[in-house]
Amino acid sequence: MKSMDIIKEVTSGPGYAVFPIENMDIFNTIRDNIFSKINTYKELGDNVDLIRKAMAKMSSAEVNKSMINLLKFNDFSEMIINSCPNLIKTLCGKKLFIQRRAHTVIKLPGEKQFKTLPHYEMMSGISPFSYIIWAPLHDIDDNEGGIYYLDKKKSSEIMKKEETEGLVNGPTILNMKIDKEPSRMKFGEAIIFSPFVMHGNNIFNSELARIAINIRFQSYNKPLLQKNTDYLKYYQLP
Amino acid sequence: MSIATVTTDFNIGPFKIPSNGQSMIMNNYAQRKNLIVDLTIPEPMLSNSLATVQWMHKNYKLTKLILCSIYQLPFKQEGIEELLNNMANVEFNFALEGISGKGRDFLLNNINEIKMFRNAKIIDSTETSWVDLYKMTQEKDKF
Repeated sequence: MKSMDIIKEVTSGPGYAVFPIENMDIFNTIRDNIFSKINTYKELGDNVDLIRKAMAKMSSAEVNKSMINLLKFNDFSEMIINSCPNLIKTLCGKKLFIQRRAHTVIKLPGEKQFKTLPHYEMMSGISPFSYIIWAPLHDIDDNEGGIYYLDKKKSSEIMKKEETEGLVNGPTILNMKIDKEPSRMKFGEAIIFSPFVMHGNNIFNSELARIAINIRFQSYNKPLLQKNTDYLKYYQLP
Repeated sequence: MSIATVTTDFNIGPFKIPSNGQSMIMNNYAQRKNLIVDLTIPEPMLSNSLATVQWMHKNYKLTKLILCSIYQLPFKQEGIEELLNNMANVEFNFALEGISGKGRDFLLNNINEIKMFRNAKIIDSTETSWVDLYKMTQEKDKF
C-alpha cells in the first residue's frame, strides 16, 4: 500500500491501517536495543522467542525492573519516527510534536493478567490531530496477544451515544464484549491509527509474552490539547 | 556541592502548579535520581527570569538545580542572556520533561523548544466535548 492509500484509510476510512516499516535497519536497532535492556537472561542470547518465553514467566517486579532499564534508551522516539519518515511526512509534514518517551509494552499471558480495556487514545488528552503508531517486536501470527480495533465510524457512534448519556469511557465501554479478532502482524509491520479509534486487547493464553512499541505524534501546525512539554517534544524530520 | 529545588509562580506555561505541588514533583524527581537537596529557592510570584536563583548562586555555588519544567526558564532575551552568562556551569534538571544537562547549548535548546510550544495553538479543553473534538478533525479547513 502506498503512503497516500494508508493515509486515506486512516483519515477517511476505518481510521487505521497496517503498513510496512520503511527503514528496517533502524527498526531492527530499536528491537535489539529493547531486548538487550529487558532481557535479564543473558544466557538466552538474542533468540526472540526464548526471551519472550522467559518473560512470560516473569513476576510483576521483574517486568517493572525491565521497564526501568528501558529508561536508559535515549532517542527511542526519534528512531521510531525515523523508521517511517515518508508516511509521517506525508501525513503531518516535517515539523512535528512527538511523544517525548515512546512506550514499550510488555503483555504477559494468563488469566491472572489484566486485559487492556477498550479505549480511545483521546482519553489521555493528546490532540485530536495526533496519530499513533503501534508495532510488535515479533510476529503476531495467531489470536494471542494482538490488539483489536473498531473502525472510526463504529467508535464514533459509541462515543456520541456515551456523550448523550453524559459519560466518557463509562460502563458501556468497560463492559463491552468485543467480538473482533486481534490484528495479525509480521515483525516489520506496524499499525497507524486515529486517536478516535477504539481498541484494546484480551487476556491471552500463550507460552510467549507480547512485546510492542508505540508512539504518538502530530503536526507542529495543528493545535495541542492537554499534552504539552510534559509529554511531547518538538522534532523536525530531515 | 549544592543542589537546590526552585519554586516559582504557579503559572508555568500551560500548567498551573501550586508551590507545594511543585515541591512534590521536584522532590519525587530528586528521590528517583538519588539527589540530596540542600536548599529550596523560592522565586517570587510573577518573577520570570530566575533572578533569585542567580543571586543565590553567588553565595551557594550551586551545582545542580531542579525545576518543574523548561517553561520556568526566562523567555525575554535580556533574562536569557543573564542566565546563560551566570548559570552555564550549573546542571539543570526539569522534572516534568525528565531531562537534564548543562551549558549554553543545552539551555538554548530548551529555550528554543519552549518558543515552538508557545507558538502552537492550544484547544481549550474546558470549552469542548469529545464529539466536538471529533468533528474538528473532520473539518478540513478548521486549522
